[in-house]
Amino acid sequence: MATVDRWQLPDGVEEVLPAQALVVERLRRQLLDLYRSWGYQLVIPPLMEFTESLLIGLGSDLDLLTFRMTDQLSGRTLGIRADITPQVARIDAHSLAETGITRLCYAGSTLHTRPQSLLASRSPIQVGAELYGDDTLAADVEVIRLMLATLDTVGMHEMTLDLGHVGVYEAVLANAGLDGEREATVFDALQRKSRPDLELALADMDPAIIRLITGLLDLHGDESVLDGARATFAEAVPEALAAVDALQQVAAAIRRLRPGLTIYFDLAELRGYHYHTGIVFAAYVPDHGQALANGGRYNNVGKVFSRARPATGFATDLKALMTLFSVTQIERGAISAPDLDTPGLVARVGELRAAGEVVISCLSGSPDPRCDRQLVEVDNEWLLQPLQS
Amino acid sequence: MALTKGRILKETLPLLARAGIEPLEDIAKSRKLIFATNHDALQLVVIRGTDVPTYVRHGAAELGVVGKDILLEHGAEGLYEPLDLGIARCRLMTAGPVGWQARGSRVRVATKFANIARRHFAAQGVHADVIKLYGAMELAPMMNLADLIVDIVDTGNTLRANGMAPLAEIASISSRLIVNKAAMRSHYAHIQGLIDSLSAVVGEV
Repeated sequence: MATVDRWQLPDGVEEVLPAQALVVERLRRQLLDLYRSWGYQLVIPPLMEFTESLLIGLGSDLDLLTFRMTDQLSGRTLGIRADITPQVARIDAHSLAETGITRLCYAGSTLHTRPQSLLASRSPIQVGAELYGDDTLAADVEVIRLMLATLDTVGMHEMTLDLGHVGVYEAVLANAGLDGEREATVFDALQRKSRPDLELALADMDPAIIRLITGLLDLHGDESVLDGARATFAEAVPEALAAVDALQQVAAAIRRLRPGLTIYFDLAELRGYHYHTGIVFAAYVPDHGQALANGGRYNNVGKVFSRARPATGFATDLKALMTLFSVTQIERGAISAPDLDTPGLVARVGELRAAGEVVISCLSGSPDPRCDRQLVEVDNEWLLQPLQS
Repeated sequence: MALTKGRILKETLPLLARAGIEPLEDIAKSRKLIFATNHDALQLVVIRGTDVPTYVRHGAAELGVVGKDILLEHGAEGLYEPLDLGIARCRLMTAGPVGWQARGSRVRVATKFANIARRHFAAQGVHADVIKLYGAMELAPMMNLADLIVDIVDTGNTLRANGMAPLAEIASISSRLIVNKAAMRSHYAHIQGLIDSLSAVVGEV
């Protein structure tokens, strides 16, 4: 390889330079402190695990996203985590094995074999929180509130909360009794909200069933969608109404605390349909083409670790959050100190650093450009004086 | 809104006009890339079809008009495609020299639509060696570069003029309205209004 190319990083893999690293780390600390203040305990799962424990049915996408290699010690296949959620589910189900409610949070790097969306990082820093052991809507509401608080912390105030419930599609699907192949086509068309493709896929079905399934296409928008769903499904698929009621209750609970929040309902949102079991949600901000944070209920995933537990949670990507800040200027306000061992100076520098100041030794040449003050000895005392830049 | 230039643009503009959306200047006579319309909140950009899904997926454009062939070839992940505009209709077909017979277990296929071709032949249980070309597909079998081609067929005149015949239809193609997922959420009322007014005039032109 020509030396010219040695600086190059793989596509979708980036380094975070000082100005932005400061932001990322500050966010990480703020968010983990936030979760701690809500009672979520930090866990630090390992970077790699056996694929059997990483790929536990949280979607086939995850399978393709995971880098694998052979463990030289056991001969088994190792995966580098592409998602931390399964690891936290394992910790809850097996390592902690508590019977009550467990609240856990985490922050860590993940690797993706390919970017999840155009221009997405292949090495995101995933931050999230999970709540295990409670199957009530109150748990869903708590987790959604925590996700909104996460975006508040980051300074995103103008956001849209996306709410859905896999139970609606599930009930409609069970009612329609489609075969496997057709179900896949219907699923694909619904995800793209493609009316023409959906009508084509259902062309020879009973008109009543066609009406129900294509009805899902219109069930997105503001809260009136829920009434629309009741009207559409009341007679034919009463099983779907429980999910609609759940959505209404969750929305009402969120509204009580945030009257101004825009809530968008989408009863045909099928992200993670294969493992989600209830309310699903996401947060969108203007001018960002992807969801900034998302989550949902995924009960019983712990079953593979021999303990099925109710579960809900959310995650976001710190690097995606970082791109929403435009940080260019370096942080100023540091103090320059001469590079001497004088006891008085060493003590003074120690005090200042302990007080949270940044003190930079002036080794050779001029003081670091971040400094706007300097330590100067006046009558055996080290005083802070402004530094002319 | 990102529009596909060429034939699709010619058929899109009358449809938009029916829905009450008109560019403030003649797109055909201008070298500009962005055009204001009689709606303050709506601007039109005119780009190549393959670029339309890219603009919309990134959210650079909130809506787009693009042929179904492009969506089939490049995937429609991250997009909504709520409306068939029913314009620029054509068929995506396999074609071969008149009287062509399959020999052996593999075929060489020349096409602009490599993914669609690979999927189509795989579904038939045929191993296809796909040769990606950017134009004049009909030439490939004549020059013995390929056995078959996969291409857009409108009238079939080009095929006939080169001693070829259409074989199987892979998909019938028309232009679709596509929408960015995030835009659908943040500007729901506006975008749904636009979809409704376009859907009301589909088939009128």
